[in-house]
Amino acid sequence: MKASLRWIQEFVDLPTTDPQVIATALDNLGLEVEGTETVAAAFTGVIVARVTGIRSHPSADRVRLVTIDDGAGGLEVVCGAWNFDVGATVAYATVGSRLAGGLEVGERDIRGVRSPGMIASERELGIGDEGGGILLLEDEPAPGTDFSRLVALPDVVFDVSVTPNRPDAMSIQGLARELGAHFGVPVRPIDTSVPSAAGTTAVRVRIEDGRGCPRFTGREIGGVTIAPSPLWMRMRLRAAGVRPINNVVDVTNYVMLETGQPLHAFDLDRIPEETIIVRRATPGERLTTLDGVDRTLDASDLVIANPTSAVGLAGIIGGGDSEVSPETTRVLLEAAHFEPTGVLLTGKRHGIRTEAVARFERGVDPELPPIASARATSLIATMAGGVPVGALVDEYPNPARPVTISLAVREVERLLGVRLFALEIGGLLGRLGFEVTGDDPLVVTVPTFRPDVTRPADLVEEVARLHGLDNIAATLPHGPGAGVPDFERRRRQVRAAMVGAGYFEIYSFDFVGREAIDRLRFQDDDPRAHPLQVHNPLSDELAWLRPTLLPGILDGLRVNVTRHNSDAALFEMGSVFLPAPEAPLPEQPLHLGFGAIGNLPGRSWVERGSRDALDAVGLVTMLADATGLALEVVQSTEPGFHPGRCSTVMLAGQRIGVIGEIHPDIAAAWGLTGRVAAGELSLSALGSSPGRKVVVPSAFPPVVFDLAFDLAARTPVGKVLTAIRQAAGSTLEDAVVFDVFSGPPLASNRMSVAVRLTFRHPERTMVDAEMVPVRTAIATRVRDEFGGMLRGG
Amino acid sequence: MISSADLHELAQRVLTRLPSAASVAEVDRLEAEAIGPGAPVSEARRSLRDAGEDVRRELGRAVNAVTAAVSAAAALRRAALAAAERDARFGEEWLDVTLPGRMPARGRAHLISTVWDEIVDIFVALGYTVASGPEVETAYYNFDALNTPPTHPSRLESDTMYVNHGPDPEGVLLRTQTSPVQARYMEAHKPPVFIVVPGRVYRRDPIDATHTPVFHQLEGLAVDESITFGDLKGTLQHFARAFFGSRRKVRFLPHFFPFTEPSAEMHVDCFACEGAGCRVCKETGWIELLGCGVVDPNVFVTAGYDPTALSGFAFGMGIDRLAMVRYGIPELRMLFDPDLRILRQFP
Repeated sequence: MKASLRWIQEFVDLPTTDPQVIATALDNLGLEVEGTETVAAAFTGVIVARVTGIRSHPSADRVRLVTIDDGAGGLEVVCGAWNFDVGATVAYATVGSRLAGGLEVGERDIRGVRSPGMIASERELGIGDEGGGILLLEDEPAPGTDFSRLVALPDVVFDVSVTPNRPDAMSIQGLARELGAHFGVPVRPIDTSVPSAAGTTAVRVRIEDGRGCPRFTGREIGGVTIAPSPLWMRMRLRAAGVRPINNVVDVTNYVMLETGQPLHAFDLDRIPEETIIVRRATPGERLTTLDGVDRTLDASDLVIANPTSAVGLAGIIGGGDSEVSPETTRVLLEAAHFEPTGVLLTGKRHGIRTEAVARFERGVDPELPPIASARATSLIATMAGGVPVGALVDEYPNPARPVTISLAVREVERLLGVRLFALEIGGLLGRLGFEVTGDDPLVVTVPTFRPDVTRPADLVEEVARLHGLDNIAATLPHGPGAGVPDFERRRRQVRAAMVGAGYFEIYSFDFVGREAIDRLRFQDDDPRAHPLQVHNPLSDELAWLRPTLLPGILDGLRVNVTRHNSDAALFEMGSVFLPAPEAPLPEQPLHLGFGAIGNLPGRSWVERGSRDALDAVGLVTMLADATGLALEVVQSTEPGFHPGRCSTVMLAGQRIGVIGEIHPDIAAAWGLTGRVAAGELSLSALGSSPGRKVVVPSAFPPVVFDLAFDLAARTPVGKVLTAIRQAAGSTLEDAVVFDVFSGPPLASNRMSVAVRLTFRHPERTMVDAEMVPVRTAIATRVRDEFGGMLRGG
Repeated sequence: MISSADLHELAQRVLTRLPSAASVAEVDRLEAEAIGPGAPVSEARRSLRDAGEDVRRELGRAVNAVTAAVSAAAALRRAALAAAERDARFGEEWLDVTLPGRMPARGRAHLISTVWDEIVDIFVALGYTVASGPEVETAYYNFDALNTPPTHPSRLESDTMYVNHGPDPEGVLLRTQTSPVQARYMEAHKPPVFIVVPGRVYRRDPIDATHTPVFHQLEGLAVDESITFGDLKGTLQHFARAFFGSRRKVRFLPHFFPFTEPSAEMHVDCFACEGAGCRVCKETGWIELLGCGVVDPNVFVTAGYDPTALSGFAFGMGIDRLAMVRYGIPELRMLFDPDLRILRQFP
């Protein structure tokens, strides 16, 4: 809401005129000032003058020579405008004055006649768009008057952000009331006197939907002459961001800005039978609104209608057919109360946001219509020559009853932490327009312009606002302290491990396009093939909830490769979403996804190595180490992955993830070439880690020896290692594969696997002789289980 | 019979040649020539047994002296040769250490994670714990349980994304705030409640410089028998200083939220310009940091808490926004960009 300080000052005498102090006051009232604009005149040296004579120019027929009285005497200027006559009061830009756009006015020679200064138009003065003719001043101010005083400049305009609970603050009067309460000064009420009416009115109002429209007032005004509004009003409206139209429409807007009550003016001659009906629209009913849009209505839209058709969307926008036009002489002025939610929903449905919507959706004071109507009637009478006809027609079958709240004095201290006496609380509330009786509890009657206040807590907020949040002492409570819970620790632990492994964390959207999911070729019985759909997505690409983190990871790799970051290792931790039709909510476990492409890090010129599935395997080993969990890698085939370079990750017999290389066709679909090591693990499935103990390492020397086995090609080495570990017994400290090869001297279809074994006893030095049975046990196990022969043994 | 004079002569000869011996092998040979097995010194030592007292004394002294002198000279020469050899090796091993080093792999946590953890830890130190809840949430927990009227515009499909799950087309949604976790937590726990809820939230905002349909919030809730607005002020002031530095000033301006009453917005004076006005604070000297307030009694009623016996405060802040403010990130969508040239700049 844009609010002129001069306008506010018509209602309240503030103890300061400093815009900064006033803006801070508004901020502290909860009426955030988003901008403070000082509106200065775009001109200097302009004064009022009266035209005393006009004659033609001796050598130019498009301009005239105009004699004016500038208060100090007569002088003659050349003028190209024709929209005035002798006696007109005009704005005279003196020699040395300055106009909008920085134009300096001097004494100019125009076709042989000297013109000391000029008569200015609105546009030249920078106060409006009218540039076709000069500005004519209606009120006939005295010649010589400083023109800037007439246009009430300079002014300050505050751009106030009003929260959705405060309909009252959507008005100059409301802001004045708040500032008055803040500074403790009285506020002047709106003048509700109406010029005396003539005759009786035939206007009838019928409310068919009393819930949507609890009150409707209509006033007939006859004898109206439609014309532009006076300068001061156009200036006010422009400063508030409202475009001036004509005197009657401008008044409705002006009074709305001033009081917060939206008004509408109908051309009464275009309302058949002079009867207004407030009803729900019939489904499919059509209405062309003032903005020129032909709209199809539905049964939940409330309309203002004449007996034959709708003439406006109630509380939102008028219809084109009945709008005030230059020919209008009889006006029906509407000031009504509409239920907020209906206005809000209809406005949203039709995509209309008018000043009226912004007020009605917050809940306008139901007692305001007659007040605003009176104010508008008297302005129309003054500005458009209108005369009220008959009395105000006021349909208000069920007047609102004021809300009364009982407030215990200690409630203020309980919620704010500041002790105030009953008298102080009553005083603060009283300044805001609340009526307070009793001392404890206080019995508080809420003014009708504050529909947001219904409970003691709401009153406590009012007390806090006016007492000042700054005046509440800060205290620091402590909670019972349960620390960082396991699920949060797990995220940190896994993240730290991934970062330590050289991976970069990304955050991607939870939305994917259907195509991205289909590319991964999940089987029909895989829940990932049936992702959850967003009912109202932003776009097709954001229409499905990711059932896997892989699309985000692959997108991330593609972005980097495209931008010439060809070596990339990324990971993400986030939820995936899987259907659970019987449950209240879908399944949404936390997953870890990762992917890497290009060369290993840090090997720039020294040595290069491309990533492959073993990077993913190594990462799982590292995660097992980091989490203390026995994660197992089992060769398998999984959708999305290279069929020969893929494994399932198991924990305690449960499948918790998949790792390997992305299927080359799928990588290609993402625009990736070369091997892509990737994987996805459910962090939710990890459970809790076993407790760890740190033990003293053995002080005795190890026994180290190597064994090489001749095995069938493609024997899973991981399983061989597991068998070796089991057969080696408890003194085995480490078993490391250090060589794998095939080819001569081995037979075809055979391979050699060499393992270095380190044994160490915690309490004594081991001797070589002890290793003989161990060696035999290992060799026997590998032979029996895998058909492997000890080489060189 | 070898005389002591012979030995001295021999020693003289060997000792002259040892310092210029060209290799360890030559040192060995020269040493052996004088004192090795079968060499004159050894012979002389063996002959001492049969020699007379006088001869033995004189010859013995000569044997010892020559042995010591030759051994010492040989050791000296060996050491010199070893040093020379090492120097030569060092020369050969010269390495251009201005070449790029072999970089250890170092990844990065995302800035959102870093800020997330940092905020959580500030509150954990104040005795709070962390709670979490589902991102695909019921309309009940996201709206109804938080005092949001059935007609509130935030429920509209223009603002909230609904998920096709179950019979009610507007029954399940992508949570628009972390607040539903408040309601869930209060249902499952008795007071006192001191929690922070970091997490993902969703709004139907098209992507631009300041909007993404996914972003991150951190919500806090403290409920006990005598929690006040003063407690809220103290807690959030502590947070602002812990996060932005101990010199920071905060201010609270009244505001409106459906689930708190009274409600406020907290601003912190700009850390970049010390409140003088700059681009970070849009020339205002203040940065809008978070929304907060005293828990609305209706929220307690829904959770089954007694609003006349308990009171509390709640606050919510944008994790992404705090990250952007502190690290000068101009566009929200940069936080969702996987470009390594961005990620590498994270601490």
